[in-house]
Amino acid sequence: MASHMIPRERCEYSAIVDRPPLKLPGRARLVFWTIVNYEVWDISRPMARQVLPAPTGVPLLPDVPNWSWHEYGMRAGAWRFFELYEQLGIRPTLATNARVCEDYPRVAEQAKRDGWEFMGHAYDQMPIHKHDDQAAMINRSMDILERFTGKRPVGWLGPGLTQTYETPELLAAAGVKYIGDWVYDDEPTVIRTAKGPLVTLPYTVELNDIPMMIVQHHESEYLMKRAIDQFDRLYAEGRDRAKIMALAIHPYISGQPHRIKYLEAIYDYVNRFEGVLHWNGAQILDWYLSLPQYAKMKAAE
Amino acid sequence: MNEAAKPARARALPTDRIAYSAIAERPRLALPGGARIVAWVILNVEEWDATQTMPRTVLTPPAGGSPSPDIPNWAWHEYGNRVGFWRILKVFDEFSIPAVLAINGSAIAAYPPIVRAAVERKWEFIGHGFTQRNMQKVENEREDIRKTAEVIRKACGKRPRGWLGPGLTETWETPDLLAEEGYEYVCDWVLDDQPVYLKTRTRPIVNVPYTQECNDVAMMLIQHHKASEYYERAIDQFEQIYADAAESARVMAVVLHPYIMGAPHRCRHFRKVFETIRNRPGVLFWTGEQILDWFLAAGPKPPSAE
Repeated sequence: MASHMIPRERCEYSAIVDRPPLKLPGRARLVFWTIVNYEVWDISRPMARQVLPAPTGVPLLPDVPNWSWHEYGMRAGAWRFFELYEQLGIRPTLATNARVCEDYPRVAEQAKRDGWEFMGHAYDQMPIHKHDDQAAMINRSMDILERFTGKRPVGWLGPGLTQTYETPELLAAAGVKYIGDWVYDDEPTVIRTAKGPLVTLPYTVELNDIPMMIVQHHESEYLMKRAIDQFDRLYAEGRDRAKIMALAIHPYISGQPHRIKYLEAIYDYVNRFEGVLHWNGAQILDWYLSLPQYAKMKAAE
Repeated sequence: MNEAAKPARARALPTDRIAYSAIAERPRLALPGGARIVAWVILNVEEWDATQTMPRTVLTPPAGGSPSPDIPNWAWHEYGNRVGFWRILKVFDEFSIPAVLAINGSAIAAYPPIVRAAVERKWEFIGHGFTQRNMQKVENEREDIRKTAEVIRKACGKRPRGWLGPGLTETWETPDLLAEEGYEYVCDWVLDDQPVYLKTRTRPIVNVPYTQECNDVAMMLIQHHKASEYYERAIDQFEQIYADAAESARVMAVVLHPYIMGAPHRCRHFRKVFETIRNRPGVLFWTGEQILDWFLAAGPKPPSAE
């Protein structure tokens, strides 16, 4: 059945050097794509991440310390993000659990007021594999965001980027136009679904505060260092071929007082360069859909 | 008779294959032209089967576990072959260094442009399992080893002489099977700075020094070091081996994977290694088979079968 395609059936292997380069408007070389993730961690379930494992290593419920560690992000960290992006005049993509609109209306309202792009990010934070009715969860999430913002989101990011084999069909059927779960390229690509093509945008697990700070345990400053190395390379390559650089952050991690200055320093650095566009996912999608490469790929479906 | 029905053979322990030997007490090994060390660079190209558990992960799912399919980690690895490999290729070209391509048999069909790029540059191909899974979990090890040699021969017109187990894994029998299937060297035994002979049921097989130390999987994915550690450790390793080689030739291996060092923020740390050591006198940049041929000619006599 077509709804059980494995990744290779959705998109053939393609070497980036074998493709005609993508072109950005004007003399732009690189799109800097900021993705802020706002989530709801249900206190009745195991926490999505832990900063402090339980004393004997066996997690017990409720897990108040890790719940409140995340809650700090919504109470304090998120407001550091809002301030930063307002100062910079950047309207990031907000990958948000739909339940944020219900549990944290103050936060969701602020993002809406600031013109951030709302991207579907499940109802609340648990692996998508664990839903008995994934289609219903996806539709419900999209509907809540649409009601809240007045506009149906065009983007989707799985919780922890998780997908089952059916997810791309379910997303396309729910009106999603692009996904961030396929971190397999520097460029947007098109994948097949039984419900029509879906665009993948180059989200990141490399420049993402969860793998870097929570999994790999790097020092706070390393987010800035890796971002600069990432930028230098992609910007150099952007001379010949448009590049997209994603940065994924969470308020309970990068919104911490000891980390926020390194996030700010990333923008100080990249904004010294000519030809850097700060676009959100919807803007990247619009640009990509207007390119001859997209028309060609779609025709090949 | 299938493999499983055969009577169990006596296990050859590692020390049955190779007796302990102190490097300081061996006859001097000399490289041509008075060179001190050989550096070889092994690039591992793999195919990760999206229907299996991913060999490594960069991101665990929320609240843990390992649900399948694991699209984000599959895609993270696939990035290496779509984008990262092509970045790394430029480094090999810039410094005129031959890579040794340790490649899964199944990756030959999955990534033809990578195979073409390697064949054009006359890189050496070595077997790296037919698929990226522990050799102890492969149903028919001999068939896996044979099939890998066959697809490599078809791809580059020459059968592989070397083998690296996926994740360096072996069964008790692996060296025997490799020798019987015509492989001449293996890389899984990271026990020395010089090539050594391992006894097998038939003829001995050479082990060429590979590394877990200067290896991006160990440094970046397991130990979670910063990208710069790749460069710093490689140089520290190089300087020590170079100094050690005043008495007798030594081999230094440098290992990388396109999905790790091919990330934009890591590539420069790989490149810088060669900027630093490429023009040092007395350093040969060879392939595994060049090391093998030199050792067969200049090294000690192979141990006799018992």
